[in-house]
Amino acid sequence: MCEKSTTGQAVEKSTKAPRGTVACENTNINLLKANDYVADVIRKEMAKHQTLLINVTSSAGSGKTTLMQKTAERLKDKLNMAVMVGDLETERDAVRIRETGIQALQIVTGGICHLESQMIHQVLDQFDLANIDLLFIENVGNLVCPASFDLGEDYRVTLIATTEGDDKPKKYPRMFLTSDLMLVSKSDLLPHLPFSVDAVTKDAREVNHELEVIQISSLTDEGIDAWCDWLVKKVVAKKEGKNVLV
Amino acid sequence: MRTLEMEFEQEQLKQMKAIHLKVGILSNIEPRLLQNAYVAYNQANPGYERVGLHIESVDIKVKCEVCTHVTHVKNYRFLCENCGRPTKNIIQGEEMLIHKVEFED
Repeated sequence: MCEKSTTGQAVEKSTKAPRGTVACENTNINLLKANDYVADVIRKEMAKHQTLLINVTSSAGSGKTTLMQKTAERLKDKLNMAVMVGDLETERDAVRIRETGIQALQIVTGGICHLESQMIHQVLDQFDLANIDLLFIENVGNLVCPASFDLGEDYRVTLIATTEGDDKPKKYPRMFLTSDLMLVSKSDLLPHLPFSVDAVTKDAREVNHELEVIQISSLTDEGIDAWCDWLVKKVVAKKEGKNVLV
Repeated sequence: MRTLEMEFEQEQLKQMKAIHLKVGILSNIEPRLLQNAYVAYNQANPGYERVGLHIESVDIKVKCEVCTHVTHVKNYRFLCENCGRPTKNIIQGEEMLIHKVEFED
């Protein structure tokens, strides 16, 4: 490659990069590549056994475990179901769920604030998937990090308790953006709290217009029929081989 | 660093000069905190102290499936600014990428 110098003389341009510069490699490596790869393995495993996998997320104390207990009481005679539950420490949640008579396995993350697909894959062989219609992952209570980790689930269900405030969806947009169903839990407390179901629904649907919403109380049973119907419908669709992947 | 160690040969890693990350607003990664974490990582794991970390934060953009208009999402309202339809067709803002790696010449 040549160009004229200021003196009018043609000079040869070096094809070498000047000293001190660097070679670049444009990579675009997804930092969650390993997680997403294992999530796909889980998805295929679930498809093989036609097991519906639901990832249940929320902040701490919104009633996930109580809902798992209630759901087990309602559906365990109709469906074969099991739960894997993530927590930083203790086996308390799994013990509570096992009391209902279904299989529950505790995943102790040892301080990690979310579940990753590798953690799920590691314990999958503890479940007889061929005989499980519905498998729940009760995620660690946290609306931030669990939103970024695909666990190979068919659906993501996020609880928001009336005690948390109705302004949460836009504070934690990714969680609500990636969820399929929002359960407004502890609805029995609504008369005592300045929480508007309309406001939280509007906020969440500005982020995710496809989000379904059910108002529930595991204490008074409000909305539990609708929640169980939703689950049964999804289990049936999975058994019929319909595409339920998000 | 583990991801890079899997992607590149040891010899290349020794020549590594800078890492460029692209993180979307929706990735929940806070660049300032990640920079702090990188300093802490280098103190605990010697070897990459001279490698710079550059983090580019990326806004959210959606592309309307109907009118194909690209909207810069503000206040997490996922609506097409052209036709007003809601959309989840995110084309930018979810990234968690090692976008570029620089090596010594």
